[in-house]
Amino acid sequence: MLNYAIKRLLASVFVLLGISILLFVMLRSLPGDPAAVLAGEMATEEDIVLLRQELGLDQPIYVQYGRFLNRLAHFDLGRSARTQDPVIDDIKTRLPNTLVLAVTATFLACLVGIPAGVASALKPHTWIDYLATSSALFGISMPVFWLGLMMVVVFSVMLKWLPAGGTGGIEHLIMPSLSLAAFLVAFIARMTRASMLEVLGQDYVTTARSKGLTEQAVVVRHALKNGLIPIITVIGLQFGRLLSGAVLTETVFAWPGIGRLIVDSILARDYPMVQGVILTFGLLFVLVNIIVDLLYAVIDPRIRYD
Amino acid sequence: MNGKMKSWPVATVALALMMVFCLAPLECVADVEELNIAIGVDTESFNPNEIRNAVSHNLCELIMDTYFYQDVQGGLHPRLATGYDVSPDGLTVTLHLRQGVKFFDGTEMKADSCKDAFDRLLDPKRRVSLRFAYTSIKETEIIDDYTLALKLHYPFTPLIPALALCSVSPFSPAAMAKYGQEIRRNPIGAGPFKLAEWVKGDRIVLVRNDNYYGEKPTVKKIVWRIVPEVATREAMLQSGQVDICIKPSPANLDALAKDPALKIDKPLSTRSIFLNLNTQKFQTQNKLVRQALNYAVDKKALVKGVLFGQAEPSEGVMSPILIGYAKMDFQYDYNPEKAKKLLKEANFDFSKPLQMLTPQGRYLFDKQVAEAVQAYFQAIGIKAELRVVDWPTYAAGMRKPLDQTDREVSLGGWGPVILDGDMTLYGQFTCAVNPPKGSGTSFYCNAECDKLLEASRREQDPAKRKELMVAASKLIWDDCPWLFLHTERFVIAYKSKIKGIVTAPTERLYPTYITMD
Repeated sequence: MLNYAIKRLLASVFVLLGISILLFVMLRSLPGDPAAVLAGEMATEEDIVLLRQELGLDQPIYVQYGRFLNRLAHFDLGRSARTQDPVIDDIKTRLPNTLVLAVTATFLACLVGIPAGVASALKPHTWIDYLATSSALFGISMPVFWLGLMMVVVFSVMLKWLPAGGTGGIEHLIMPSLSLAAFLVAFIARMTRASMLEVLGQDYVTTARSKGLTEQAVVVRHALKNGLIPIITVIGLQFGRLLSGAVLTETVFAWPGIGRLIVDSILARDYPMVQGVILTFGLLFVLVNIIVDLLYAVIDPRIRYD
Repeated sequence: MNGKMKSWPVATVALALMMVFCLAPLECVADVEELNIAIGVDTESFNPNEIRNAVSHNLCELIMDTYFYQDVQGGLHPRLATGYDVSPDGLTVTLHLRQGVKFFDGTEMKADSCKDAFDRLLDPKRRVSLRFAYTSIKETEIIDDYTLALKLHYPFTPLIPALALCSVSPFSPAAMAKYGQEIRRNPIGAGPFKLAEWVKGDRIVLVRNDNYYGEKPTVKKIVWRIVPEVATREAMLQSGQVDICIKPSPANLDALAKDPALKIDKPLSTRSIFLNLNTQKFQTQNKLVRQALNYAVDKKALVKGVLFGQAEPSEGVMSPILIGYAKMDFQYDYNPEKAKKLLKEANFDFSKPLQMLTPQGRYLFDKQVAEAVQAYFQAIGIKAELRVVDWPTYAAGMRKPLDQTDREVSLGGWGPVILDGDMTLYGQFTCAVNPPKGSGTSFYCNAECDKLLEASRREQDPAKRKELMVAASKLIWDDCPWLFLHTERFVIAYKSKIKGIVTAPTERLYPTYITMD
C-alpha cells in the first residue's frame, strides 16, 4: 500500500504541472492590468510601468512561466504582488483556519448525517424517513450565505449567545462550522440512505439476520461497513471542496481562511498569490484522493493496491 | 516608628489628593482598555510609500504621525513639525521640526530621518503610490538638526496640505537599517500608537505609545477587526462585539439610528461620484450632448432612492468640503424636456447606442447608480447599453490613450486624500492627466482651464487661489466633462457611550482621545 501511495504522489507532480500551465494561461487571459490595479488610480504612468517591470509582467509569457517553474523547483511560490510578502507565508497563516473549519464541519456533518441516513434507510416511508429526507432537501437548497446571516441575526444580535464573526475561542467556530455542515449533512444523509438501502437488500444481510444476530450488529458490522465506500467517496470529495475555500462562510463570519484570500487575490489580479494558492489546492486535493483510496483498502479487504 | 507606620500619612494625603482631583470640576478620566473597530478591508503594508487605501492611511497616521494635521476647514496644526515657511519666490518650503520627538526604538527624530523619508519618496526606482503629490520637490536640504528645506522645481501651493499625509512621515533610521524593505511589517514611527500585531485578514492591533511626545492617548489598545461583509459588521456592533463599525450600509442606517445605544456620524467625504463623458470621442464630444445628459438625470431622486439619502447631490465640480469649492451659479436640475431639446440641437443620433460602463463593488451601490442613470437616459429616448465589469477590468481600460479607448460614458469616483481641491481639479480636468499619463478618463483638455489651474498652484494667497479655482470650476461645470452625480458620506456607527471620536472627510477615524462613559 505504501508503494501505491508513493506512486500516486509521484504521478501528482504531472497533475500539478498541468494545473500550473492551465492556470498560467487562464490568469493572463483575464481582462485587467494587475499593474494598473495595484498601483492605484492616482499613480503616475511611470509608477505603473515600474510596477509592471517589478512584477515581470513586461516579459513574454514563456519567460514568466520559466521563472515561475524555476522558483517552484526551489519550493518558492513567489511574493504577493499586493503585499510583497512571500505567498507561502499567507498560505501558512490562512490554510490552518480553513482546515479547522473544514474538519469541524465535516465531523459534525458525519455525526448527524450518517446516523440520519441509516435511520432513514432502516425505516423507509415512515415519518423518520420523511423527516430526514425533507430536512436533507432543505439543507441542500438553503443558500449558505443566507443561513449564515440568519444565524448571525438570531444568535448574535437577538440572543447575544455567540459572536457574529472573527476568530478567537471555540465560540467563534460554532456558527461558521454549523452553517457549512448544514449542506454537508444533507448530502451525506442522502448518500448514506441510498447506499444503505442497496446494501440492506443484499443476501448476506438476510443471512446475518437469519443467523440471529442483533439488529445493531447487522446494521453496523455488516450493512454499514459495506455501504461506507460510496459514503467515504462523497465525504472525501466534499472535504476537498471545503478546503478550496468556503468563501461565502468565510466572508459572512469574517473567518480569515484561504477562500477569502483566493477571491481577494483574483479581484486584485495578484497573479503570484492566485498561482500559489491554487497549486496548494491542487496538491491538497490529490492528497485527499489518495487518502480516500487508501481508506477503501482499510474498509474492504478485497481491495488491494499491490 | 516602623516603615509601615511612616507610610500611613503619605498614603492618606495621596488618597485625599486623588479624591479632590476626582471630585473637582476637572473629570477624572479613566483610560479605555480596549477599543474594537470593524473595518471592511485589510491594509497591504505599513510602509507609507506603498499604502493606497483609506484604511492604510488611517493606520499609518496613528503609527507614524504626520508633520501636520489638517482640520475640516483645511487648517494645518503642528504635529511632527511645529511650522513651515515658504520663500517669497515659492521655491523653498522650510519645515521646522519638533524637538524631543522619539521613535518607538528611542532614536530621536531629526532632520536626517525626515530627509531620508523624502528622498525615498522621490526615488524614481521605488514604487510610490502618491508620488504625484510631491513631484514638485527637486531635492531636500538639511539646514540644521531640526530644520529641513524642500527645494522645489516650481512654486506649488498644494504641497503644503500634502505634508499632512503619512506618505512623507519619517521612519527611525535605525529601523530602516535593520529591516530594509521589511519595514512594511515593522513600522517604527513616532505616532501615538505602535503596531503590536497584524494577523492578515483577521485583525490589526495597535497599542498606546506611552512615550508619545504629545498628549497621552486615552486608549490603551485598538483592535481593528477585518470584516468584509457589511451585515456582519453591523451585527458585531449591535451585539456589542465591536465598539465602532466603519461604513455600515446606507440601507440600514435608519434602523441603527433608532437604537439609543448607538450613534451615527456621517460627515461629507471628499469622494465625488460621476460619469466620465468622453469630451473628444463618440457622441459625447459634443458639449450640448453632455449638458443634455446632465439635465436628463434626477440626482436628488437618485440619492434618495438608490443611496437612501446618504449622499449629497452635486452642486459644484467637486466635494463641498474641499478648499477651492464653490456652488455653481446655475444647476443641472432634472429637466428631461430640456435634455431632449439639447440633444435635438446637437443632432444626436438616437439610433446609435450610448455605451456605458461601470465597475461593480468599487463605489457605494455603483452598479445600481449606473442602472438608474441608464433608465433616465432611456426615458428620453437614448439607447443606453450598460456593461458591468469587475474593478481590475475597469481599471485596465482607464489609462488607454484616446485612439484606443472605448470609454464613452463610464462611472467613476474620485476622493482626494487631502482637503485641497487641486487634487480633483488638476487631477481630473487638465490636459496633463489625459490617459495614458493620468486617469482623467473624460479626456478634458481646455487651455484656458489649464492656465487657471496652473496659476492656482503657484498662488500663495488663499483668497486669490480660491478665485482661480472657482473660475476654472465654472469652465468645467459649463463644459460638463462629467455627469455630476453626488458626494458620498463617510459613515461610522458606534456605541453612544463613546465620546470624543474624531472623523475626517478623507475617511479617517481618530479614536486617540476618546472616553467611554
